[in-house]
Amino acid sequence: MAVSVSLEDVVKTFGSTRAVDHISLTIEPGELFFLLGPSGCGKTTLLRCIAGFHEPESGAIRMGDQDVTRLPPHQRDTGMVFQSYALWPHMTVAQNVAFGLEMRKVGKEETAKRVQDALRMVKMTDRAEHKPNQLSGGQQQRVALARALVIHPKCLLLDEPLSNLDAKLRLEMRTEIRRICKEAGLTAIYVTHDQKEALSVADRLAVLNGGIVEQCGTPQDVYLNPVSEFAAGFIGETNFLDATVRRVSGDEILLETPMGEWTSSRSGKGFSEGQPVRLSIRPEAFRLGDPPTGTVNQARGIVHDTVYLGEVAQHQVRLGDDGGSNVKVFDLNPRILARDTEQEATLWVEAQDVVVLNRGNA
Amino acid sequence: MRKSTAWFIFALTLFVFGFGFLFPLVLVIKEGFVSSDGGITFKYLIGVFRNPVYVEGLLNSLRLAVGTTLTATLISLPLAWLSNRFTFPGKKVVNALLLVPMILPPFVGAIGFQQIFGQYGVVNSLFGLDVDWLGEGRWMGVILLQSMGLYPILYLNLSAALANVDHAMDEAAENMGATGWTKFRRITLPLIMPGFFAGGTIVFIWSFTELGTPLIMNYTRCAAVQVFDALKEIGSNQFPFALVMVMLTVSVGLYLISKLVFGRQAHAMQGKAATTFQEVKLTGGKGLLALTPFVLVIFFALLPHFGVILTSFSAPGGWYGTVLPEVWTTGNYVEALGHNMTVSSIRNSLTFSLLAVLFNIAFGVAIAFVVVRSDLKVRGLLDGLAMMPLAVPGLVMAFGFLAVSSTLSNTELVRNSDWLKHIVDVKTNPAFFLVLAYSIRRLPYMVRSAVAGLQQTSAGLEEAAANLGAPPMVSLRRVTLPLITANLIAGALLAFAFSMLEVSDSLMLAQRQDFYPITKTIYELFQLIGTGKFIAAALGVWAMVFLAVTLVGSSLLLGKKLGALFRV
Repeated sequence: MAVSVSLEDVVKTFGSTRAVDHISLTIEPGELFFLLGPSGCGKTTLLRCIAGFHEPESGAIRMGDQDVTRLPPHQRDTGMVFQSYALWPHMTVAQNVAFGLEMRKVGKEETAKRVQDALRMVKMTDRAEHKPNQLSGGQQQRVALARALVIHPKCLLLDEPLSNLDAKLRLEMRTEIRRICKEAGLTAIYVTHDQKEALSVADRLAVLNGGIVEQCGTPQDVYLNPVSEFAAGFIGETNFLDATVRRVSGDEILLETPMGEWTSSRSGKGFSEGQPVRLSIRPEAFRLGDPPTGTVNQARGIVHDTVYLGEVAQHQVRLGDDGGSNVKVFDLNPRILARDTEQEATLWVEAQDVVVLNRGNA
Repeated sequence: MRKSTAWFIFALTLFVFGFGFLFPLVLVIKEGFVSSDGGITFKYLIGVFRNPVYVEGLLNSLRLAVGTTLTATLISLPLAWLSNRFTFPGKKVVNALLLVPMILPPFVGAIGFQQIFGQYGVVNSLFGLDVDWLGEGRWMGVILLQSMGLYPILYLNLSAALANVDHAMDEAAENMGATGWTKFRRITLPLIMPGFFAGGTIVFIWSFTELGTPLIMNYTRCAAVQVFDALKEIGSNQFPFALVMVMLTVSVGLYLISKLVFGRQAHAMQGKAATTFQEVKLTGGKGLLALTPFVLVIFFALLPHFGVILTSFSAPGGWYGTVLPEVWTTGNYVEALGHNMTVSSIRNSLTFSLLAVLFNIAFGVAIAFVVVRSDLKVRGLLDGLAMMPLAVPGLVMAFGFLAVSSTLSNTELVRNSDWLKHIVDVKTNPAFFLVLAYSIRRLPYMVRSAVAGLQQTSAGLEEAAANLGAPPMVSLRRVTLPLITANLIAGALLAFAFSMLEVSDSLMLAQRQDFYPITKTIYELFQLIGTGKFIAAALGVWAMVFLAVTLVGSSLLLGKKLGALFRV
């Protein structure tokens, strides 16, 4: 049932804006794949190209062995969950769900059974005879999902499916969607701008920006090893610091920073001596307090503001360098607080948490 | 929707409008400018302005239009405001009844109006007077009748505009210290101006060129009637064409000005009002006070038509110089249904109107689809084209269709073919041109209502159907059409009602008795000495009842959205 979806060099332009700029991706059968990016990055356009609502100017879209690039939407056999749900207001929940089966000329009995199964899967059996406008947002969302699932699509397409729900429901539904996709063994492509949604649910994700793929990989891979300033900044929070490469030796990079000489134990591939670079260090990678002996990456700073959240404190630390850089530090199980007073502190970071990026591609 | 389908519909529209709209207009303009020897001349146009009779006619028509628009505004603005701000007992009923006059033909009402205000009519009998109300003041009677028939168009526009004013705008004004009249004048009025002009333009053009009412009221010194009278000498006299052209210029000019000044974007608010007014509930005496103006307007608007009803039940000659008819009878109805002219005219009107409406539904939905759902660059042009018939008076179109018919009938091809003659020669059979005229002139209402329906229906609903495997036609049938049915029915009913009551084309194009539509029959019967007026009244009542049912039906279906149909 589940098929792979591959995009080859897909281009889509609206007027003078290139919404999708030569994107190539391969989504494996049964994979839950996320397209992540800020609004206007081309993620929804790409999804609509896959569904067939936009025809790309060039490039190819394949589902399994079939080239679907020029196929009209109704022949593609995808199941789409729309951002607005797009439930037909003149049909009941059951009629909405049965519609796709009717188009596929599935027999009456089987239709009834499959509709029941789909509604059971999303826990909506008791609302089968309701009209969509009698349902809450979360319930409508479930029906939209059931309607897309019931046809056993080659590929499930989800366009920001949770953006109209409140925060609590969003948390609940995102694990629910993952459970359902995995149970059905579906290939699914999920569009969102919410990085937490992507990190927590995706098998793999692609970070899109300005119509191109900045980075593609597993959530952990993208979070820990961002390849560009954009990818580092868009997924999670990070601190950017300027530095210059002093020396590259194997997997270690020696860096010249305003705080002194630092090292990064990441791959030094692609960097050369004297090159200006940008460091990305996650707030939770910084530690406050006395560093273990032999720690190279340390600096003196002043904690001048703290947001206390119980399990974590988010400090603003002004580094004691000439540039007066400010960094954000997440302190788990916090001891140091600086709400109204400023406090001096030492801060340090392990060499493996210092990510070195080329400058100027933000 | 597919680009090829969109282009096909666009091309089809160009073709239909080319033949059914632009061609007649071009012929009218040509006839007005081309002299008998084929050269271009301005002598007819200059002649119109040199001829004191024509100048008087034009000025009188302007006077009718200005007077009607002002009167209709004075009637509808306070009512729309009251209805927007307050609820009171009976509001729903009066709101529906308020719209009824729109489909009661004012020219039929004119028959009753004369019974009431004539020198030997009800008013004089009631008060023992002997005033000739309709003598020198005949034009005021025409204005009254026309405003009583046309104020609903303004009322619908103003109501829709008021409903769209964000409550926050009002509160912001109060917050800055503006209340009452100042607030209305500085904030509300400017915000509803586009709505007012949209409706006002239609009322103005309509009353400027209205033929039926002045004709029955025997007010012959206005341009529309002069044109109609000149019909007999068409062919030998080019001046009617030049006169029609002047009317066309005034109408189109006004339409364009209102478009330019109040383009669709002017004062555009972010979609619908975010916060609407909480209508203040009025009960008891206050409620009654608010209800009174509605009841009064409805009473006066329906009065002429009561007159028609009474006339229809009065024995011929049995209502003269008395308050009520002295001899009652249902004989007029019997005679109306037995009269060979009336029975065939009912059948003709039903057939022509139904055909026109069917054409309009198919064509209007197709155009609306391209306008709302396609990404064709020319879709704005298409929308504008479909609205153009609103700017062109029916009288002008009728003249144009006559010219088209006579031009085509004179071609070799048609002269040798009986079959073609039956289509294009109105003297042989006007059915084709009547249906075409009815269709083209009512198409804007159909397109507007379909566009409104599609705009309220998210494209996502159609995409969802396509995504689940529905081909375009299935998606149209199963998802789109059911969702816009209410809009389509309302638009169709309105187009149907207006076609049934159409005066200009019916009077001019139908030249053989067996092809007369209802309106022409009423006019012809009215001309008959003796029983004619009473049979005409009976036929008018039949048409009114029939149409009242259709309109009440459509207003129940569409409610407030009915206003959207009358946007220019």
